[in-house]
Amino acid sequence: MTAEEQFNKVDEGEVITGRPFTVTRDTIQAFADASLDYNPLHFDDNYMKNKFGKTSFDGVIMHGMQNFALITRTLTDWLIPRGGFHRRLETRWLKPVQLGHTITPVVTLQSKKKTEKGYWLLFDVEVNNQDGMLVATGNAMAEFIDAIPGMR
Amino acid sequence: MTVLDLDNFETDFWKDVDKRATWDEIIPGELRDTRPVTLSKEVIARYAKGVGEDNPLYFDEDYAKTTIYGGVIAPPSIHILLMFACTTTEDWMRSPGTINAGQNWSYHVPIRPGDTITMRGTALDRFIRKDRLFAVHENTFTNQFGEVVCTGRGQTIRPA
Repeated sequence: MTAEEQFNKVDEGEVITGRPFTVTRDTIQAFADASLDYNPLHFDDNYMKNKFGKTSFDGVIMHGMQNFALITRTLTDWLIPRGGFHRRLETRWLKPVQLGHTITPVVTLQSKKKTEKGYWLLFDVEVNNQDGMLVATGNAMAEFIDAIPGMR
Repeated sequence: MTVLDLDNFETDFWKDVDKRATWDEIIPGELRDTRPVTLSKEVIARYAKGVGEDNPLYFDEDYAKTTIYGGVIAPPSIHILLMFACTTTEDWMRSPGTINAGQNWSYHVPIRPGDTITMRGTALDRFIRKDRLFAVHENTFTNQFGEVVCTGRGQTIRPA
């Protein structure tokens, strides 16, 4: 299928719900071992009793980039089978995510855009916690392309 | 060039804490000290597993060869690992209390096993807002062919 044909097969307004993710000390350790981010914010209960400027936390927090990786997975789980190439992700972290919280990314295909050389998809991103509170927002872009960049 | 060895990474982020730039010492525009790393297929597979990326495109060469990618690639988000792998224990992104406020990343050439990735990292900007100390960083990763694999910018709240 050409990029144009793949582009024509997806519809604006489609809502993609990611897999729910529950934070435990084990998931934090696994993410740290994968990402090499061993900041004590994610491990040290005593350290987390401090105030961070005007902010204080109720115990250790999940890595913000864990959220980024979960949003990425939500996008690529949907894109790769459809031939889409993940191009961009922008995120804003609104609330800390803590032990025992369950977060779920929801991505909406907000619009399709044909440019001079590309077939683009524009997504809105929201991540909610178990209480329905928004913990992150963002947007993303993907492209249908006939050849993966850098192929040799 | 160093083949990235995850098992000998310094996990104590308090080490060298006094050698890292604080918010007051961060100079916008200044380059951060980085080193290239080579990513093995084992490191890519371990990253994928650790972040829950279970698409076989990231670890099954036989499957990946049948796709448009022509072989195993790394998950796009592997720049999360690269930022720590390519910097030293003196890099201020390791400072305890560094709080991530948001990121934006663009992806171009997929990373493949055996690629040697070079990071160009800057402190792009710093500011104070709502009594918090912010720094903006920008990281660009290139492969051994000089192609940009991905580039991104983020904001962190710095420990006071």
